[in-house]
Amino acid sequence: MTGSSKQDPRARELLIERAQRPLDDRELWELRELGAEDDDSFDFAAASVAVAMTPGEQMPEHLAAKILAQSPAAASMLPAQIRTLAGVAPPRPIVEAPKPVTDIAHAREKKRSRAAVIVPWLAAAACLMLAVGAWWWTRTQSPANVAEAPPPSKAREELLAKAPDVTRVAWTATADPNAKGASGDVVWSQREQRGYMRFVGLTPNDRAQFQYQLWIFDKNRDEKFPVDGGVFDVSSTGEVIVPITAKLNVDDATLFAVTIERPGGVVVSKRERIVVTAARKS
Amino acid sequence: MHPAAGTAEASLLRRVAAGDANAVRECIAKYGGLVWSIARRFELADAEDAVQEIFLDLWKSAARFDPNIASETAFVAMIARRRLIDRRRTRRRRPTTEQLPEVAIDQAARPDACAEAAQAARALDQLRPEQRRVLVLSTCHGMSHGEIAAQTGMPLGTVKAHARRGLISIRAALLGVTEETP
Repeated sequence: MTGSSKQDPRARELLIERAQRPLDDRELWELRELGAEDDDSFDFAAASVAVAMTPGEQMPEHLAAKILAQSPAAASMLPAQIRTLAGVAPPRPIVEAPKPVTDIAHAREKKRSRAAVIVPWLAAAACLMLAVGAWWWTRTQSPANVAEAPPPSKAREELLAKAPDVTRVAWTATADPNAKGASGDVVWSQREQRGYMRFVGLTPNDRAQFQYQLWIFDKNRDEKFPVDGGVFDVSSTGEVIVPITAKLNVDDATLFAVTIERPGGVVVSKRERIVVTAARKS
Repeated sequence: MHPAAGTAEASLLRRVAAGDANAVRECIAKYGGLVWSIARRFELADAEDAVQEIFLDLWKSAARFDPNIASETAFVAMIARRRLIDRRRTRRRRPTTEQLPEVAIDQAARPDACAEAAQAARALDQLRPEQRRVLVLSTCHGMSHGEIAAQTGMPLGTVKAHARRGLISIRAALLGVTEETP
């Protein structure tokens, strides 16, 4: 098992996450940049738990035959050999004598020319099925069929009313021109790991030019690596409420800061343009 | 060096990498049950598709297996879990109506499967019951932290902390190092 006991804290967090859930493209890129993608120690730890705690079951025989047929070894085998090697009984007794190689080649050629006719039809059928499937999915996902999430303003009120540990901290605007006259607050529940940002008067952004990004500083993490709280847009100078989407667990939030970043956000901010901050007492 | 290094167990994947057709068959016979069992816990409905993908990955990765780093069993399980986690990238959220497989949390089912499993089982015994439960649901059943929170009634933050600290403890036990501050 490869793994350094003294890892970069951010790399370590990403490796722990990778052992439990799929990382997004940015996180994978970040892991590569940190030179830690080959550290599989947390993956081995999770795999060892899985081995220890999972009772052994028999794999279905037909599945074993299918896997063997798909293996590189199958290229040199005939179907009957595959079934035999996989320990699967053939569906009926094989009474035919093995065909000469030339017959097999001929059969393969015939199969290929048949495939040339059939494949375009199959492709067309698959496209049609996809189109029907997409139409059906769109219909089933209509508002009537989906339990609608409450709007951010309502969800924020609910969090404020119900989460016992919720805190609300007012934003402090910086001297950045986009922050002139900006106010609002940030609401955060440590226990539920969610929260909302409320802004009034923050300059609306053109998402092709730049986007806003939230950073959450955690008492238990290196301040060089605050947790990414999500990239977002501001569409009006009126009240705007944005849900916080923390990419990692936040143990003890001490500071929320919003920066201006390139479209799509960044993995590590240069902190050149900070617009608002909110310090939270831990 | 890993305890399994130098044992006969270590040679099967290397034979697969060398193109030995019999080794492929032996590999399916030896690890098919393990991979099937793990896949069934992650994906009850699509386990067959998942297992086929896992073995395709295994054939491709066989040459990377190093018996000095891990046992073959742990390596196979790691490849399996990686594929299953990766499948979740495109899979929609587990339907709430899908029945979850039974979860054996209290004691290890197969601590003798390989050296790492034995170490992991001992380390699991040292964890608090709720921490162990979260870790098993996460690592063996592929449940997201949100799903675990919904099933156990624990707050999401607590679930995340248990999973994180539990995994750090298991890794420390496997590496034989003192646990780092979580």
